[in-house]
This record gives sequence, C-alpha cells and structure tokens, in this order.
Amino acid sequence: MDFISTKWIIHLLLCCLFHGVGCNSVEQKIYVKLNDTVPCVRLLNATHQIGCQSSLAGDVGVIHILESEGNLEWVLSTGPSPPYMVILESTLFTRDIMMKLKNGSSRIAGVAVVKPSTNPIEDFSPHTTCPNENTGVYSESYGPTMAHCNTTVWNPKGNGLSYEEFNFPIFSLKDDNGTEFIRQCYLKHNLVVNGSAPGYPLCAMQLSSHMHAVRDTVTCMRRSDTSPFSLNPEVVCDPLGSFNVWGSTKSLNNTAKGHKENETVVIAAARLDSRAFFHGISLGAESGASGFITLLAAAGALANVTRQDHPPRTILYTFFQGETFDYIGSSRMVYDMEKDNFAIDLDNIHSLLEIGQVGLHNISGLWLHSDPVSRRNDSIDQEVKRLIDYFQSVATNLTISLGQPDVSQPLPPASFQRFLRAQSIPGVVLTDHKSHFTNRFLESMYDNAEYLNLTYPPDLSPEEQFNFDTDTARGLTEVATMVARTLYKQAGGADEQLASINADLQTVNHLLYGFLKQTNNSWFRAIVPPEHQRFLGPAPPEYYVGVTFNNTFSNLVRYVLANLTGTAVNISKENCTDQSKFTDDTESTDMYDYMWVSGVTPPNGTEPVPYCVRSTVRLARAQSPAFELQDYHSSNYSTWSESRWKYIGARIFLVAGNDLEMLTLGMGVAVLVTSLLLTYVINSKADFLFSSGREPANATY
Amino acid sequence: MNLERVSNEEKLGLCRKYYLGGFAFLPFLWLVNVVWFFRDAFVKPAYTEQLQIKTYVKRSGLGLAVWVAVLTTWITIYQHYRSQWGEVADYLSFTIPLGIP
Repeated sequence: MDFISTKWIIHLLLCCLFHGVGCNSVEQKIYVKLNDTVPCVRLLNATHQIGCQSSLAGDVGVIHILESEGNLEWVLSTGPSPPYMVILESTLFTRDIMMKLKNGSSRIAGVAVVKPSTNPIEDFSPHTTCPNENTGVYSESYGPTMAHCNTTVWNPKGNGLSYEEFNFPIFSLKDDNGTEFIRQCYLKHNLVVNGSAPGYPLCAMQLSSHMHAVRDTVTCMRRSDTSPFSLNPEVVCDPLGSFNVWGSTKSLNNTAKGHKENETVVIAAARLDSRAFFHGISLGAESGASGFITLLAAAGALANVTRQDHPPRTILYTFFQGETFDYIGSSRMVYDMEKDNFAIDLDNIHSLLEIGQVGLHNISGLWLHSDPVSRRNDSIDQEVKRLIDYFQSVATNLTISLGQPDVSQPLPPASFQRFLRAQSIPGVVLTDHKSHFTNRFLESMYDNAEYLNLTYPPDLSPEEQFNFDTDTARGLTEVATMVARTLYKQAGGADEQLASINADLQTVNHLLYGFLKQTNNSWFRAIVPPEHQRFLGPAPPEYYVGVTFNNTFSNLVRYVLANLTGTAVNISKENCTDQSKFTDDTESTDMYDYMWVSGVTPPNGTEPVPYCVRSTVRLARAQSPAFELQDYHSSNYSTWSESRWKYIGARIFLVAGNDLEMLTLGMGVAVLVTSLLLTYVINSKADFLFSSGREPANATY
Repeated sequence: MNLERVSNEEKLGLCRKYYLGGFAFLPFLWLVNVVWFFRDAFVKPAYTEQLQIKTYVKRSGLGLAVWVAVLTTWITIYQHYRSQWGEVADYLSFTIPLGIP
C-alpha cells in the first residue's frame, strides 16, 4: 500500500516538474527578461503625486530608439503602430522631450533611458530650482524677501523632472548586454527605412511598475488604515524615513531625555541622503557624500584629542537622513528636542556648524553661509562672527580659500534652517558655492564618484584602489582638518592642541572608496557586526532615503562613526551584547552604546577576531513628525510617502500584427462555434446515431 | 429538483416561499422564482393553483425590477462619483481598487 502510494506521489511530482519546465521553456522562448533595470516609482506628498505608473498588467509598446529630437514626430504622430516604447539615449533625457512625450501619452507606452557609463558634458539636474522651498526657515513671517528663493535661486539648472507625474512607466537601463540586445532587436525588426514602416513582427517591450497608492499622502494613508475596523486592511504607501545617526565627544545620558543641566553643545551636522530621478541609482557624491565624509573624517580627527583634553563644550555630530525630502531627519530631531524626547533640548545648543556640499571646493573655494535674519540680533551676530573668525584663523594655516558671501544672502537649503525655525541659534553652513550651487548635477544620477574626480588607475586590484591616494581625498582631508580644528576651538578647546588635530588622509581614502565605490572592503568588513556582513556588496550603499524599515545605510554610517570615535573594550560577546550587564553608572548603556563587530583577521590567523566597541554613537528615528501627529496635510513637516507595488519588471519580445492576431482569434471562435454546433447536432440525433437497442438513460432527479 | 415531477400544490407552496423569502432583501430569490415558475404561470394550460402562482410570479418580477433599477442607479452614481467623493467614498467602499483615484 505504502509503496504504491509513494510511487503515485513520485509520478505526480514528476508530472508537475515536467509541466513546470515545459511552461518555463515556452515563456523563455517568447520573452527576454531585462535585468539591471531601475524603475521610476511614485511618491506622494500632502497635495500631489509624482513619479511614474504603469497599468496593472504592465504597458506594452513597439520599441523605437529615439536618435534625435526631430525623430519624435514618428512616435508622436506619424508612426503606424502605436503605442511606442521610446528608448532614450541619456542626452535626450531632457525636460523638453519628456514633456512632449507626456503630452502625447496616448501614443506612448513607456520610456526607457539608457544610463551612460560616463557623465555628460551638459548640466543636468532633475531637481527643482529651489530645493525644499516650503519647509525651510524663510517664509512670509521670517525674512519674507528671501522666501521661495527670491534672493538666490540655488539650483538654477534644475528642470524639475523628478517632481513631474508621468502616467506611463519609465525605466533606466544600464548600458550593457541587455541594451545591446534591444538595439539588435530594433535594428532587425523595427528600423524605419526611407520613411516606410517596417512590417510585422515588431520588437516590443513591456514595462511593469504598477503603483498602489494614488493622489496624495492624505488619501493613501487613509487607505492604508489597518485597524480592525477597516474594511480594506491593505497598506498602499509608507512614509519616507530612516534613521539619523548621532554621536558626541562626551557621553550624554540617552535615557534621561530633555534638558541637561550644565551642558552646552556644539552641533556639527551633515546630510546623508540624496536622490535621483531613478531612486536606485542616486549617489549624491557631491550633494550628500562629500559633506558627511568630511564630517566623519573630522570626527575621527577629534577622537583622540577630545578623549585626552575634552573642551568645555560637547561636540555633537549629527547625520541627518531624508533631508532631500523636506528635511525629514532634522525636522524630526528638532521636534524630539522640543518634546523632550532627545538626549538634549534646544536650550543646550550653543551653536551649529553644518557641512554642506564641499566636494568641489577646488573649483570655487569654500564659503561660510549664515542667516541674515537671526543676525539682526546682536548677541547672535557676535557669536556668528566669532565662529567665522575661528574658521578663518584656522584656514590661514591650511591651503584653503575661505570666503563669506554677501551678508544679506540667505542660507542655502540646509538642516540648520530647521533649527532656526524653532529657535535663534548662531551657526554657519560650510559649502563650496558662493551663491548658486557649484554642483551641475544636483540630485541626478551623474552626481557620482566620477564627478568628484574620484578615479583609480585601472590596473589596480580592489584592495589597492581602496588604499590609493586620490586628489579628491587630499582636498577633503584638508577641509576635514579645518572643520575639526574649528569645532575644537568653538567648543572652547585650547589653541595649543590645534596643531595636533589632523584628519587622516588614509581614512578619507577609505571613506570615499567605501561610500562611493563599493561597501565590500576590508575596513567595512572589520567594523560591522557579523550579522550585517551580508549588506556589504560590490556597489555603494543606496542613498535614497527609502521607507522607514530600510536602515542599512544609516547603520553603516553608525558603524563607521563608532569605529572612528569609539574605543575597543576587552569584554566577552555575552557582556557586550547584553544591555543589562553594565551596572556601573559611568559605563552603563544609558551613557554608551556597545557593539560586537567582526574585527580583522590577524596576520597569522584565518578567521577575523571580533571585538566589542564602546561609543556614544546612536541611531535616532528620522520619520517626519507629520506621521507621528497623523497630520498628513501638514505644511510644516515633510509629508512624503512612497507607494507600494507588487511587481516591477521589464522584458522584450516580438509582437505579431493586428491582422494575424485577429485571424488567430477568429479561428479560435470559429472552432468553438463549430464544436458547439456539432455537439448539439450529435446530442439531438443521439438516438439515431448510437442506437444499440439499449433503453435511453432515465432522466434523473 | 425537477419541477415536472412535483404536484401543483407543492409548486404553489414553493413559489410562495420564494416570493416571501425575497422580502428579506434577497432579490435573487425573486429572480429564481420568475425564471423557474414562468412556464407554470403563463404558458401551461390552466389549473387550480395557476392563478395564485401567476400573482406571486408577477409580484416577484415587479420586486426584481425595482431592485434592478435601484441597484443600477446606485452603482452608476457610485462608480461615477467615487473618486470625487474622496474620504466618504473610501469609507463606503469594501474594496478600493489599487493605483487609481
């Protein structure tokens, strides 16, 4: 019995297996799936939706490779087989062409943009001309003449493409074998010769990126209501957000929140995230990475001196996430400080120093921006002047050109603006632009390592590249040294120590390689906990802030900061990971964070030796307060959310002409009708046809 | 059940049950009643119970027509205006289609 049933099961399984294989091979014969594609997805705020959307089943169109702008006419009016799937070379990915395609969208099934392997010569920024226009400090009630970038347009090259809504899918393709395959397919089947349309079959492409959320955050959050009373408990969008990273030179009790007596803090801030039209390929080398790498290097330079000779004031390093989307991280930290939900409050803050975009300082020098409105107050003005003096005195000893823009010029978009919204705090923002941004590729896919001139000789192995001295690193090391010395001085440190504060060139090399080339390198492998090793790969981390549960990048910054500022302690794994082991007040987990990291492989060993790191580095939630307050109409806080989706994919195949399709359908219908007729006739003549002398079967109940 | 094998009395009982059941907001019972007993009510040669069956079938038909009219009107209005009603429509809806307003 058993034997027989087992045999049957095996038979069944074999059948299933065979069936599966059969199906696959048919699918593979028809479709060629494209890997290495990056979609444009839908984002929503309090009033709008932006991004792209395909129909539920994916949009199919005949491939047309656009060679020039004049070629658009074929797609938009004359071509005989719409809808078209337009393949754009990156040089044609401009606002002008995209808007023409958007307006002719009944003939457009979708767009695929080929990402080039080198940066273009022309400027390209799909961001707005006035980033974070409505959530900064300048408004009708605070410096009304400076609101909405009236005084300085920060990103004049911005074409706003990232903030448009497209009702067809747009994908980015990597320029590789897949793209070459599309070209071959196009040349073989679709090429227009002397203006005459090619015959069927034609090469077509299907792009699927169906988005669940629609209209605005208010709507999608309402529809995402998963309470037990909800009739339709399906989440359709998630708030953008991640985690801020912060650490201090002196440990601050993180359990006792709110105001700390006898504590004054100098905040050193930088932004972590950036974006691009296609979120998956945002790198923000200049717009985000140059600033936070400089600050990390400065924190590393200050680690020893602050341990031996701590200045009177504490330096607090903060790395904000989600700043690109209306200051998610900084607005949340300020909100937490106001609500006594952070280790310090706003009254503890002495001053603030923010590192903005500094990667191109060799082109345009460095500039110290300050807020003209708060400087109308004398005491604030004094403090700002002193801070600028510190900067300048430090810079004279280094080969850095440092200037001040016109005093009436407002602050560029910066996290500092969110602090000013809450309270007048003296502070400056260090950037590499005097007025408008030097960055030609703000929040685009070209703001990458190449743009910072971070190039390595091709014959080097990854490990040699990792240790290779680049000019970019040398420049940023200088900047980091200047920042570190100024911070130490601003915190009240002694002048004699300044000469000993120097950012390490090798550290900057490693940071640049790790954050802009690949995270899988010997340093990162050693400083992350064993369970996080799997996040290290042959690519940079994703700089788009993403939705709340994604915090790989923030964690990576946390490990780096902990490694640069923390100390190794000689305790066992159990004691390190168990939070309750430290009963001593000065060592408790209220004061310090303990982390068990992978460690390096000793020269004579085979396995890395893990160890425990004690640091003051922590993560703090970076989710907009609007979602905390459930105020999705908020005009004070970021309301950006990202739609969910089920499937995103791209594939190409050959489509037959309409005539052939209709013929096939007609044949099918004809066969069906014939068989029905035949059955009816046979049934009605059954007595005659099958008369074997048997009684006809009785009608049953 | 084969209606041909049921006595006329039983048919009447059945027809009445379906007719009364329809009042419990079950228009489909009326639909079944109309379809099922149409021949008995209007086509077959006269028999004693036919008159009553005829009445039930007519009334069921009327009720069904009212239901169809009301539902069609409501569904048309709802589908047409759902996206404009916004919040109210979301609370009225059992399933909200994904990706469209």
